[in-house]
Amino acid sequence: MKRLVSAALGLTAAASLLVAGCSSGSPAASASAGVPSGPTTLTLAGWTLSTTPEFKALADGFHAAHPNVTVQLKEYDATNYDTQMIADLAAHSAPDIYVLKNLKNFYTYQSGGQLVDVSDVAKSLGSGVGGLSDYQVGGKAYAIPYRQDSWVLFYNKALFDKAGIAYPDGSWTWDKYVSISEQLTAALKDRGSKAVGDYQHIWQSTVQGFALAQTPGAKLTSGDFSYLKPYYDRALALQNAGAQPTFGTVSTNKLTYQAQFGKQQAAMMLMGTWYIATLLKQQRTGDADTFQWGMAPAPQFDASTTGTSATPVTFGDPTGLGINPAISSDKVSAAKAFLEYAAGVQGAKSLAAIGITPADTAAVASDFFSLKGMPSDSLSKFAFSTHDTKPENPVSKYTTGLQDLLNDLHTAVMSGGKGIDGAISDAQSRAKSQVLNQ
Amino acid sequence: MDTMLKPAPTDALPAPVPRRRNGKRASPAVRVLIYVLLVAAAAGVLLPFYWMVVSSLKTDNDVVTVPVKWLPHSVVWHNYLDIWRKSQMTTWLENTLILSFAVTALQLFTGSFAAYGFAKVRFPGRDLLFIVYVGTIAVPWQSYMIPQFILMSHLRLSNTLWSIIALQAFGALGVFLMKQYYESIPEELSEAARIDGMSEYGIYRRIMLPLSAPALASLALLTFVNTWNDYLGPLIYLRSPNLRTIQLGLSTFISQYNTEYALIMTGSVLSVLPIAVIFLLGQRYFVEGIATTGLKG
Amino acid sequence: MATTIEAPARPTRPARRRRSRRVWRNTAVGWSFLLPNFIGFAVLTLAPVLVLFYLAFTDWNVFGVARWTGMANFRRLIHDQSFWTALENTLYYTALHIPLTLGAALGLALLLNRRLRGVAFFRTVAFFPYITSIVAAAQVWNMLFSPQYGPIDAVLRPLGIAHPPGWTVSTTWSMPAVILVGTWREMGYYMLIFLAGLQTIPAQLYEAARVDGANAWQRFRAVTVPSLRPTTFFVTVMLTIGSFKVFDLILLLTNGGPGQSTLVLSQYIYQTGFQENHFGYASAISVVLFVLCFVATIVQFHVNKRRSV
Repeated sequence: MKRLVSAALGLTAAASLLVAGCSSGSPAASASAGVPSGPTTLTLAGWTLSTTPEFKALADGFHAAHPNVTVQLKEYDATNYDTQMIADLAAHSAPDIYVLKNLKNFYTYQSGGQLVDVSDVAKSLGSGVGGLSDYQVGGKAYAIPYRQDSWVLFYNKALFDKAGIAYPDGSWTWDKYVSISEQLTAALKDRGSKAVGDYQHIWQSTVQGFALAQTPGAKLTSGDFSYLKPYYDRALALQNAGAQPTFGTVSTNKLTYQAQFGKQQAAMMLMGTWYIATLLKQQRTGDADTFQWGMAPAPQFDASTTGTSATPVTFGDPTGLGINPAISSDKVSAAKAFLEYAAGVQGAKSLAAIGITPADTAAVASDFFSLKGMPSDSLSKFAFSTHDTKPENPVSKYTTGLQDLLNDLHTAVMSGGKGIDGAISDAQSRAKSQVLNQ
Repeated sequence: MDTMLKPAPTDALPAPVPRRRNGKRASPAVRVLIYVLLVAAAAGVLLPFYWMVVSSLKTDNDVVTVPVKWLPHSVVWHNYLDIWRKSQMTTWLENTLILSFAVTALQLFTGSFAAYGFAKVRFPGRDLLFIVYVGTIAVPWQSYMIPQFILMSHLRLSNTLWSIIALQAFGALGVFLMKQYYESIPEELSEAARIDGMSEYGIYRRIMLPLSAPALASLALLTFVNTWNDYLGPLIYLRSPNLRTIQLGLSTFISQYNTEYALIMTGSVLSVLPIAVIFLLGQRYFVEGIATTGLKG
Repeated sequence: MATTIEAPARPTRPARRRRSRRVWRNTAVGWSFLLPNFIGFAVLTLAPVLVLFYLAFTDWNVFGVARWTGMANFRRLIHDQSFWTALENTLYYTALHIPLTLGAALGLALLLNRRLRGVAFFRTVAFFPYITSIVAAAQVWNMLFSPQYGPIDAVLRPLGIAHPPGWTVSTTWSMPAVILVGTWREMGYYMLIFLAGLQTIPAQLYEAARVDGANAWQRFRAVTVPSLRPTTFFVTVMLTIGSFKVFDLILLLTNGGPGQSTLVLSQYIYQTGFQENHFGYASAISVVLFVLCFVATIVQFHVNKRRSV
């Protein structure tokens, strides 16, 4: 009997999927941010909680400021976060507040009606919060950034000293970077070190992110990808010169960037500022060697944006928080207050305390550099707080499709399977016939 | 499918070692050649597994080297202690065991029961229904898993171990396998029992079940292995860390400790070991079971 | 008219009623056997599969209502380069994986179908890859394939191959590498089925052939191959469906790359569905995949039928 009932329920559920669909309205969209006085419990999505402390830091910090609101964490898989979240949202079993890992999937959630309008929260936040505008569609905000990582150049001072080469000074263009990396590799080899000049992780963003952000006139949705060519030429040159591990080695051995830089296998590494927290922690626990390191602005497209008097151009997607429209309406105001807290100065400070780059970098720079193990030179501070950060995934209907085919380009070119010119023209024709015409 | 149905061998339990069909044994030279071939093939097949075991006994930095080290420098056992300390291996094993046993039991019962209906009871629409069963095997799971997930969530099953049980226990494969086996059992046996006044349930219970023990054993092992090694199912349905299965746990572990090769290999070895032991214990039955179901086509 | 029917009808009516009662009873008994499995199957598998067939004709982004678009998804397929690449790769995989696995499985089965010391051990060894977790196997194989540090190329280099293939990171060699691992993984499984088939061949057939003066090869052609036909047919059908649907092996080994060199249909379905959020379109590709499996099975069925006549 129980089986029959559940069967009936199941069939009804399947039918409702076809006929009724899911409601996607935003309840109480205009509710002003304010915390209800009664006890409230909010649920928040996070991943790998044991090694990712930021979610707990925000939840605890918010609870301390609003003792009547408890924030419960729901754990997701780090690599398959979006797959699990899409399934949960479709089945209405997602938490009240969820994280938008990057801008790539923001469009999916926003256009699918899975985000509550939070324009009022955006308005109440100061202009110091980076990445706020990336989440706006048609003049309304659908998520609030609480982290804004930017890509900078990490370098190992000890290895530079060993090679007898001067530290980065903020004046580098890409050509300079390539030549320094090759010099480092040769000098380190001479001095009996196995370390190489730089490490480039297998992600497409290590090449394409900079190319898109820095090249004047480059636009993802234009379907013209010729801006990638000089960046790939340089990446391949470094790989062929032995100044960085090859793509094949990195992907088949599943090399990790944490080990490559942390275990001093490479003297330089371009990486997002999220790596600061990891490096500090690994140096503390012994998972990484203890050595002096520093940060410098990423190499630039040309000399016009180099030097500490200019603003270097780099890229990075904000990490945002959004509210699930399935949240019960009496919790919306508490959820909005949580977003405001996370993106505001208080949240920024509690994130900075664990080494995470908040969306409001200026507000926390001094707290940040007082952490144990942080470098203290002025260029590191400059690199951390001054940059023009362009989104890696400019929000549009076509972004995911285009990034997918550009990832094919990346793996084909970096593995040596295709020349860059042929790969670009292939990608352009695929973009035209498969993505931009949809 | 009917062309595949050959009459069953009269002995339901054929000898595990094939009958001697050659009047004489193969010459010593041939035997040596066969052994050389077999050992070479076995070495090739086991190479990845050997690499796994050896790497688990090395330090992290020794795993990837040029040239390759086929033997560990000095045997390091502490990886096996470390993994117990750093991961929730016990929880993962416990969950996976619960799931594998529950799924196997259910699959055996419902599968063999339904197979009897398909094989031995004649009623209108039976063959069409069977085609529907087999047809679903040809549909890729990842394309209907979202509708299925929505449905399971409505049944309040997602994020519980029940979801994986429900997902695996009613698969079409068991029905297919058992049906082919039952059809190869001579009809006269059940006819004789019917004349004696035995009900269909009695025939199933007293004749078919005992006769199909080897087939059930093979189905049991297949189901057990598949549930043990399932990754996508638990990934989609389970969220809480205390519900993780061995495959899910291992992949989270890899993404968490991706710098520690030796430890990853240790985890991989540990994930294979229990199932290897179960296979070794059951392999006698398994080979026999397949031997008798094999002709099902 | 009425009288002519009346006469013979009278005696048969109870018979017919009896027969219909028996049909009814059989149906009830039959369904009582099916029900425990069928309820689970219908709700958890059949219903979602039917929904999938409906979704193939809609535009659905998972969250909202599926909008009926008729044949639009299938029209889009015709002009979708990636779909054709994926189809081509799937056929490439299938075309090589089936004969290789079939050959390896049959070879192993013939080798192990004799009285040898330790035969149980070798059978277990052959089955080992199938029980090894696919996550661990992919990890190990990728390391083995590594172009610079991997043992496979380290073995090939001293053999005089100066530029051994890049395997999983080469657009040319990634598919052969995947096929190799696929064969490694599945041959033991099918070997056991072949072994079973071999054990059911009556010994008298071999004796008769021997009396006729047939040598080992002739006995294999004249006795083993035809007697194994039902088993071979089953193995090919299961292998075909399995090859067309190959998914997690490729996802973990190469993730479809480099470029699109190992992108197969199942993975393209996953990508369009979960990454690009076009679930209606993904469903349409699934329907194509289903039809392919179905047609291949029917073709094999007919070939098998003609041969066995």
